[in-house]
Amino acid sequence: MVDVETTISWILRAGVLVSAALMAIGLFINPSIIWMGVLVLALTPFIRVLMAGLYFLGQKDAPYFVIALYVILVLVISSLMKM
Amino acid sequence: MDLPVIIATFAFGMFAGSIGTMLGLGGGVLMIIFFIIGLNLPAQQAVALSLLAVIASSSMGGSVYIRDKMTNLKLAMILETCTVTGAVIGALLAMMMPVSAIQLLLGAVLIYAAATMIKGVREAETPALPVKGLTVKGEYTDECTKMRVCYTVIRMKLGLFLSLIAGVVSGLVGIGGGVIMVPIMNLAMKIPMKAAAATSNFMVGVTAAASAFVYFKQGYVDLYMAVPSVLGIMVGAYAGTLMMGKMRSNMLRRMLGFILAFFALVLFMKAAGVLSW
Repeated sequence: MVDVETTISWILRAGVLVSAALMAIGLFINPSIIWMGVLVLALTPFIRVLMAGLYFLGQKDAPYFVIALYVILVLVISSLMKM
Repeated sequence: MDLPVIIATFAFGMFAGSIGTMLGLGGGVLMIIFFIIGLNLPAQQAVALSLLAVIASSSMGGSVYIRDKMTNLKLAMILETCTVTGAVIGALLAMMMPVSAIQLLLGAVLIYAAATMIKGVREAETPALPVKGLTVKGEYTDECTKMRVCYTVIRMKLGLFLSLIAGVVSGLVGIGGGVIMVPIMNLAMKIPMKAAAATSNFMVGVTAAASAFVYFKQGYVDLYMAVPSVLGIMVGAYAGTLMMGKMRSNMLRRMLGFILAFFALVLFMKAAGVLSW
């Protein structure tokens, strides 16, 4: 099994590259594609926390699974909050 | 939008991305200052764009640092629980209290941290204190000295408490957590500079993402400005990871010291109402 560091590195890199590509393409074609790039970028940190959580669940490492779960929960709450 | 603005934004993004990734800051404050003073953008647009920039530099830099095992993943996850909680509390508090006093206070704290960093405390003198509860260790290879650096995180409780405060302050003041987290990890928890920078760089993306959506919903993201700033930041962040590996820890600490002193100045200006975001 690939270790968690490598997995997270891939996720982050994929997020960065996909969003960079969407943003660059959108600049010439349509702003709504830029918007998709922005969303992909903003979701990347969420996904990496989620994947770390799943990894620790798979490892039956309860404390770190709970930690990841908690961070995701707070992230969701704070994104729903009003200014 | 004209070409010079796009080029300037891209170039400044590269600068902020490399500094931010090298020192673990994210580069958000530098971007805000550029957008507000350099481009005269409204404060909320500047913040929205800089949050995106921080996510970009954290993700780009993070992908390299974590692959190279510079990032302490477990430590990042533990401290994130406190910084994100603090950020929410800070955002709530910001609605009901004047923040200029806190800006002055944070400015003073940063000056102290800056002085300590510049003076240069000797590193790798990890004392063998007993660590209770969740023990976190880490090790990495310093590309500059070709040495294997091993460390045990000490003062975890203090670190958690300070991370909570750091989160509250960053939610209140709108300054990224990295500026506060690197000194906390390096000075209080005695984590070697490079591991502290890599771990903080990794953490700031999550905190920024948490507040980014709030700004997105309000429609503050200028899409055409986002492209050059995010792409510039990504290029700079990648370069920053390469430069960090080659640099001496003490040099990094000194650079961070000067940046912190500069941020303190920015905070004093903010408290005085000269700058606002």
